[in-house]
Formats: sequence, structure tokens, C-alpha cells
Amino acid sequence: MKHLLLMTIFAIATGKSYAQNHSLEFSINSVNSDKGKLYVQLFKGEDNFKKGAPHAAQIMPARKGNTLLVFSNLTPGEYAVRFFHDENNDGKMSTNLFGIPSEGYGFSNNAQPVMAPPSYQDSKFTITSDTKVTQNSSDVIY
Amino acid sequence: MNRRQMLKSLALCGGVAATGLPKLVKAKSKTVSAVNYKALFEKALKENPKLIGYSGVEHDLMSENLVIEGRLPMDLRGHFYRNGPARLERGEVRYQHLFEGDGMVHDFAIANGKIHHRGKFIQTNKYKAEQAAEEFLFSGPDTRLQNSLAITKADDINVANTSILPVGGDLWALWEAGSATRLDRSSLDYRGQVKLGEQTAAGSSLAGMPFSAHPKVMPEGDIWNFGYNSTGHIIVYHLNSQGRLLNFKVVNTQFTGGMLHDFLVTQNHVLLILPSIKQNGGNQGYFAQLGFAPEQPLEVLVLDKTHMAVQRRYELDPAFVFHFGNAWEDNQGNIRMDASLYPHLDVLHKLSDLMAGKLPKEETNAQPTLITLYKNGKVDTQAFKIVSEFPRVLPQTTGHKNQHLYFLSSGQNAVWHDTICQLNVDNGKLNQFQFGDDFIVEEHVPFSPSGKENKAYLIGTALHVPTKRSCLNVFDANALQNGPVCRAWLPYYLPLGFHGHFQQA
Repeated sequence: MKHLLLMTIFAIATGKSYAQNHSLEFSINSVNSDKGKLYVQLFKGEDNFKKGAPHAAQIMPARKGNTLLVFSNLTPGEYAVRFFHDENNDGKMSTNLFGIPSEGYGFSNNAQPVMAPPSYQDSKFTITSDTKVTQNSSDVIY
Repeated sequence: MNRRQMLKSLALCGGVAATGLPKLVKAKSKTVSAVNYKALFEKALKENPKLIGYSGVEHDLMSENLVIEGRLPMDLRGHFYRNGPARLERGEVRYQHLFEGDGMVHDFAIANGKIHHRGKFIQTNKYKAEQAAEEFLFSGPDTRLQNSLAITKADDINVANTSILPVGGDLWALWEAGSATRLDRSSLDYRGQVKLGEQTAAGSSLAGMPFSAHPKVMPEGDIWNFGYNSTGHIIVYHLNSQGRLLNFKVVNTQFTGGMLHDFLVTQNHVLLILPSIKQNGGNQGYFAQLGFAPEQPLEVLVLDKTHMAVQRRYELDPAFVFHFGNAWEDNQGNIRMDASLYPHLDVLHKLSDLMAGKLPKEETNAQPTLITLYKNGKVDTQAFKIVSEFPRVLPQTTGHKNQHLYFLSSGQNAVWHDTICQLNVDNGKLNQFQFGDDFIVEEHVPFSPSGKENKAYLIGTALHVPTKRSCLNVFDANALQNGPVCRAWLPYYLPLGFHGHFQQA
């Protein structure tokens, strides 16, 4: 408690927010049905993106149209998001027999696959120390 | 759902598999980045009128009561369907490979001594979007647009331009890198892409899977086909006559040549014939980067139809092949087949050169070759010294012994076919008819109202260059040398296309 109080005083004194008091508002657009769930992962940094090691993850019921979700308590840095729409509710992203997704998916920055997944470079965005709420969005690719 | 399962599922997002399509370059404006194919083609067309067949058209076509020369056989009633790339240019952009053009389906309706023609662009989502925008919006396998819309799966650029097959009450327009496209048989209207797994246990596992343009229909009506992925995985399909999925299997052939166009079936087997080609990669277009692999044998995999498992493998001399006529099993269990074999892959690149109006300097001919795959593993080949492409057999003989093989040929070179041939595969006897220098001859399809080879017709189209008109020709299949028994003239020319099908009324 004492530590928190000191940090708050420090933040007020320096005019800067507490290092983890950043959030991401991520909008998943053009969800095509209410069926199933949205599975969303947030990655911090290229290594974690490539390793598939998420910083945070959320699962939520799918709603036709646009869905806004929030990741809180983030520190400044580079991030990327990827998600899929599990329409058949089997807990995995379905693909055809040659590995091509048969359920909707997407990446931050609305990065598009070009017969290969979008790269981290196409998907990354930065949470800066002077922006409290960062916004990003992507359409679902069906 | 636990976290581990979730992570595993999401990992797929990062693992979208490569397909048989190119890794298209995302560019920045809507102009073609390379050579100006349109300007080159227009210049060449002024000097060589035969190139008109590769001009493409911009609108649907219709003509009733075609002018008929000769006598239309009374027992020839039905529809002759054809398909081919027809929209080759928009604005200043001309496609760089013939395979990229949007498909147009043709219906020659033959009844009561009259013939009517309709040609209709297949209204795929790609075609409709580009028609509305009045420009190409998507890159193709070879043509890279600057500012192409995203292509997230092969069906985004499915041009349904290669072949046509009546299935159930519909027509299926066929490509080879994606789904079949369903058309209304009466109106030729687009009805969407065929979802083979729907209402079967396969579910969405077959969504967007490639379905080749060369399905084989057994005399009993069952349909067999395959789909190729450049990873070497090939899916084999077995459908009933109504297009309902009966069985399928993915076979890892390890063939990474990048293109597989046709296959064969016998009564008991499926033959996957893997040509001697390889992917060179690089920044070239998808077709442009494919090369001949002279060190790589042409390989034949023989699968049993029941389990779809590889039973035998054969290695033949290196060759490239687009098309086969037929395969069947003799009484000793040996497999007999034919192929139009090329000594290299130049023919594929010729179809790009033609789009720029360039004619090949050297001949790029295939030869009809009869092949015996002996049960003991030996192979015999017999090549005939004549140009051969678009081989066909009477549909009733598919997978069974055929006496005759029909194909296009040419006295000069294979740029323009000017001859149709009937080869008796039992004795090597050849009957042929040469149309003459003014014609460019397209695929001709054998058809027999009685199902018998000794009473059959051969039907197909040809472009008459001096008058810029196409014609439909009907031959007595056993007397080709007498010329057409009937020729029906269109008042316009048709873009040179690929494959057709005659459907008896």
C-alpha cells in the first residue's frame, strides 16, 4: 500500500502515468454471426509472437458486427494481436485438409495474409508511454 | 476450454499453410509492374491476325439459329458446353498468362435441326467486383497488380475458366486451384462455389480444397477427381453422379513440381501421373517460375479405388504432360494408358508469350504416346510422330478399353492446331482432317448417341481467322477425312478456350 501510494505521488509529480496503466482497445469488425466464440491473443514483442507465447488472451461470445475488447495493465512497447472466430465452437480454428483456415481469423493493423500469414512487421503496433489508451482494429477474414 | 487448447488453436493463425498459389507481392498502385503486355499484344495483332483468338471479349454473346452448312444429324440433340478464359484485359492491364482470364461458358443448344449459342461470363465474386470497378482488382498467378486486393485463399481469384461438367441438374465450371463453381444449367447464372463436404462427415475440412478441371466420369456415372497442393499432398475425390461426396483421401506424394493438371482412372485404380517439373521460386510469376526437371523421371502412382492407397509406382523417361485420354486394365492386370507427352515445359511459357503477341521460335509439340504399365513393374511406351493435344475418348469408354483416341494436331507447329485426328490404338491407323491455314481448331469431343465407338460423332469449335467468326463442326468420328457433316457459323468469334462436354438431350 505504501509502495502504491509512493508510485501515485511519483506519477502525479512527474506528470506521467504509472508504467502499467496503459490499455489497448481492440476492435474486431465484421463478425459474421453470433455463433461460437472469439479467441484473441495479445503478444508482446517479435520473439513471443513467433514463439506463440501470448502476453494475454481473451475468449468471448461472438456477436455479429463489431466487438470491442480491452487489454489493461500494459507497459509501453511493441505488441501484435491475432484472433479467430470459432464458429463451430470446437475450441480450435478449423482448417481444410491442406491447412487453409475455414473459420474467420485476423491480425492487428488489419494485416492481410498473402498466401502466407501476415508477418509480425505487418501486425505490430506500439504502445507509447504518453498514450494511455491505444486503439487498433481488424476485420475478420472469412 | 483450457489455456493450452486455446494456444494450440490460435497457433494455427500463424501457420496458414502454403498453397499451390503464388506468394503474391503486395504492391502500391493499380498498374502492372513489368512489361506492357497490352501494347505488345496490340502491335503484334496488327501484324498477325491469328492472334485475334487471344484478344478476349468484353460482353456476353448470343446468337440464335446459326447458319448451318451441311446436314445436322437428327440423332444429335443436346447441349455442347465449352469453357475458357475470355476476359483478358481491363483498362490498360492485360493478363500475362492465358490461364488467368475470367471464364466464359458457352452453350450450343442443338435441337430440331437448329443450333443456338450463348456465351456468358461466369459471375464469380472476383468477376463481379472487377466488372463494377471497371478494372482488375486482384493479382493473378503471374500478373502482379500494384495495389491488389488481399488474396487470402485460392477461391478469391477462382476464375472458373478451364472446363465444364454437367453434374446433377447443374453445370460445374472447373478451375484447378480451388473449388468447382456451380452454374444454373438453363440460365448459366452463377450459383456459388460447390461445397463438397457440406452435409457429409467431412464438413468444412474440404472448404476451398482444389478440385481439378479434369474429373473422370465412369460409364456408371460415378465421378472421380483430384486436387493438388504444391506441398505434394493430393486429395482424391469420389462423388456419385449427383456430385455428392462418397469418399476422399489425402495422399502425400512428395511431388512438389507446382502444377498437376490431369489424371486417369481405370475400373479399379486411380493413376496420379507426376510430370518432370520443379518450382524455381524467386520473384517471377507462379507459372513463370516453373521449370522442366530433366533429371526427374515422370512418375506414375497407381492407387486402388477402394482404399485410395498407393499400390505401385512406375518411373518413365522425363517428360511434361497436360492431358491424358484414357486408362484401362487388360486381362493380365496390366494398365494401358495414353498421354500427350512434351519433351520439356516450354508449352506453359508459350501461353505467356502469346499474351504479349510473341510466337515461339521453336516447336513445342507433344506426341501421343501409348504406355503400358506392366504388373511386374516394367513399362513400355509407343510414341507416334505427330503433334497431339487435347486428347479425348468416347465418354462411355472412360476407365475401360477404348479403340479410338481423338486429339488435335498440326502440320506445322503447335501454336495453332489445324487438324483433328482419330488414332486407332489397336493398330496405329490414323484418320485425320485438316481444316486449312485459315482456321484455328479447338478441342473436339467424341459423342455417340448409342454409346458405340463405331457410330460416333466428333464435335468442336474452330476460329476462321479471315472472317473473324467461329464455327461449330460436327464430324462422323469414323470418317473424319470426309470433312464435317455439318458446320454452323457464329456471326462473331469466340476467344480460344480449353475444354468442353457434350450432353445428350
